[in-house]
Amino acid sequence: MSITYLEAIREAQAHALRDDPRVFIYGQDVGAFGGAFKATKNLMKEFPGRVIDSPISEDAMIGLAVGAAIEGMRPIIEMQFADFSTVGFNQIVNQAATLFWRTQVPCPITVRLPFGGTSGSGPFHSQSLETIYAHYPGLVVMTPATVEDAYSMLLEAVAIDDPVIFCEHKFLYYHLKAEKLPSEALPVGKARIAREGRDLTIVAYSAMVHEALEAASELAPEGWEVEVVDLRSVKPLDTDTVMASVARTGRLLCVGEAWPWGGVTAEVIARVTSEGFGLLDVPPQRLNAKDTPVPYHPNLWTAHRPTARAVAAAARKLLRL
Amino acid sequence: MPSIPIIMPQLGESIAEASIINFLVQPGDTVEAGQDLIEVETNKANMNVTSPCKGRIAKITAQLNESYTVGAVLGQIEATQEEAVLAGLDIPAPAKAGDTERIAAPNGNGSKNRVKPTIRGLPVPANAAGASYLSPRLKARMNELGLHAADLAGVAGSGAAGRVTVEDFERFIAHLEKQKITPASSMRVTVADAMRRSWTRPIAHVGLPVCLDPLFAFRKVTQPKPGPALCCLRALAVALAENSAPAGRLVGNKIVHPSAIDIAFAVEAEDGVLVPVLRHADKRSLKDLVGPYDELVELARQRKLPPEATGGSIATVTNFGTFGLIWATPIPLPEQSLVLGIGAARRTPSWDASKGQFVPVMEANLTLSFDHRVIDGGAAGRLLMRVVDLIKHPEKL
Repeated sequence: MSITYLEAIREAQAHALRDDPRVFIYGQDVGAFGGAFKATKNLMKEFPGRVIDSPISEDAMIGLAVGAAIEGMRPIIEMQFADFSTVGFNQIVNQAATLFWRTQVPCPITVRLPFGGTSGSGPFHSQSLETIYAHYPGLVVMTPATVEDAYSMLLEAVAIDDPVIFCEHKFLYYHLKAEKLPSEALPVGKARIAREGRDLTIVAYSAMVHEALEAASELAPEGWEVEVVDLRSVKPLDTDTVMASVARTGRLLCVGEAWPWGGVTAEVIARVTSEGFGLLDVPPQRLNAKDTPVPYHPNLWTAHRPTARAVAAAARKLLRL
Repeated sequence: MPSIPIIMPQLGESIAEASIINFLVQPGDTVEAGQDLIEVETNKANMNVTSPCKGRIAKITAQLNESYTVGAVLGQIEATQEEAVLAGLDIPAPAKAGDTERIAAPNGNGSKNRVKPTIRGLPVPANAAGASYLSPRLKARMNELGLHAADLAGVAGSGAAGRVTVEDFERFIAHLEKQKITPASSMRVTVADAMRRSWTRPIAHVGLPVCLDPLFAFRKVTQPKPGPALCCLRALAVALAENSAPAGRLVGNKIVHPSAIDIAFAVEAEDGVLVPVLRHADKRSLKDLVGPYDELVELARQRKLPPEATGGSIATVTNFGTFGLIWATPIPLPEQSLVLGIGAARRTPSWDASKGQFVPVMEANLTLSFDHRVIDGGAAGRLLMRVVDLIKHPEKL
């Protein structure tokens, strides 16, 4: 049996629906159509009345979810694209994120954000918004990079009492495959060493973990042992694991598909330099998408986002400093 | 008749401005091409602004004691068309806001916003062979081991521009552990630290032979007997009392003058050097200094110097001649800018003009090491000459 990242997300939702009667799925075309990416395929049939089509209003979708959560439900909201979640931004950051802090009533909603670039998707269907949501206290922001994490972290997202922004990368939906679903996982907020090394730490999350791993393989024949840290969730951010890795290597490169300005990569570097300045043997660097809207043209898109080739080039520069 | 501007010339490659200190001509004066018109002062020297052509001074717009940038118009010369063409100055100058580009504050309140010199000195690499940049991690690791940048001298860096990386450093440390290692005494470490700090300054040296025969003759007839080192110390004290500027310390853009002529002298002790201090050596005669000097030497050798006998001195005297050396270039203590060194006395032939022949004399070299930021070779030479003069008449010291 082989299972994709997308199937893992579907399986996790089925698992959650089966396990907990308070769980329901709400989103545009999630019912009979099975969702824009088929992440809820057949779930309406299997769980009648619990996989519900919403109107085309992200604002209303989140508003309904917050209300349902107040009443004790555990809704999973599917955004068709992360880009569209900004239409429901007010409900997410002003209502959902603050509810517990205002009323002591928890807000266990999970908002699934299919995010990140795929070739030719352009500026409205490619954005990475994890940084924006991570900025708000009260939200948990997950960015799974593997099939196993997509499955176990989505189950975790539904189970925890805080509102979770679940960033699932569209590029990984079909590309990434695993033999079986995991039975255990690291706790939320714990980063993972995806590859061990002693010369350089590359911190990445979601699809960029794979670009970083490919870059590490490219650098291995040159004699460099590159360590890759998969953050798994950008909020909470596992500074300890990053710091321990930099303590081993002395060099830090942060890779993110989101834009550079005030991003997750900047946050990681800020924490390492302020708390672990003495660990750094070279100035820490970050590699992000270019600071422009995401282009349509496949060639431009490839130049816009960090690729394994670009990561390896940035790494080489750091290794030779 | 064309009016030719008198312009502040480029007076040197690092000079951006100059102050007017004297007008050599007045409006109405007839001048020749190349004639000195205005005397100016730069941060390097006094120079003259010369006339660009033959003509008559129409007006002088520059003001005395004001500073003007290179290229500023200081006045105008009326010249004939032929003269202007001859001087290549027949092209009309571009229109200016005012005749004189006096350096005025932007807010116009008259306070001077002077142009800063463009060259303030180049950064001097601490170690040309690498280790000039220490990463935060390398610094942290060195702090952990109690090491200093100077300890990395000779480590070949593999990083960019020869930088010593943490890996290079760890290899270096691992390599050291294979060799014989003995602990350095705390005295050794203290001296090392002082010398390293001192070495951040440009230290230069001058030297001069001195005839010690008058001194040896004086020693035969006097009681108690002063040694050559003490005589030199006393002579230095007298010379510095006359002019203490050479013993000043340069701090920022100020020379800090010594508050008292307290002079130290080097005494070799086991694994290091101690420098007891004779306070107010200018105010006590050579004879009165012998007792305190001998006492301090003894205390130093026993490592029992009282706190008041150490520190706060302005110069040191070191008698490297006791090691049989005739020449050395000692390094002043970090808080001092002068060291007077004394070489071993030797009998050497000296030309006696009155006898018309060489005669044997006891001669030793005196060296003066100084902080070249504070004084130059000339001032150092004059100070050393004065010391030599004083030593010729020990009975007066």
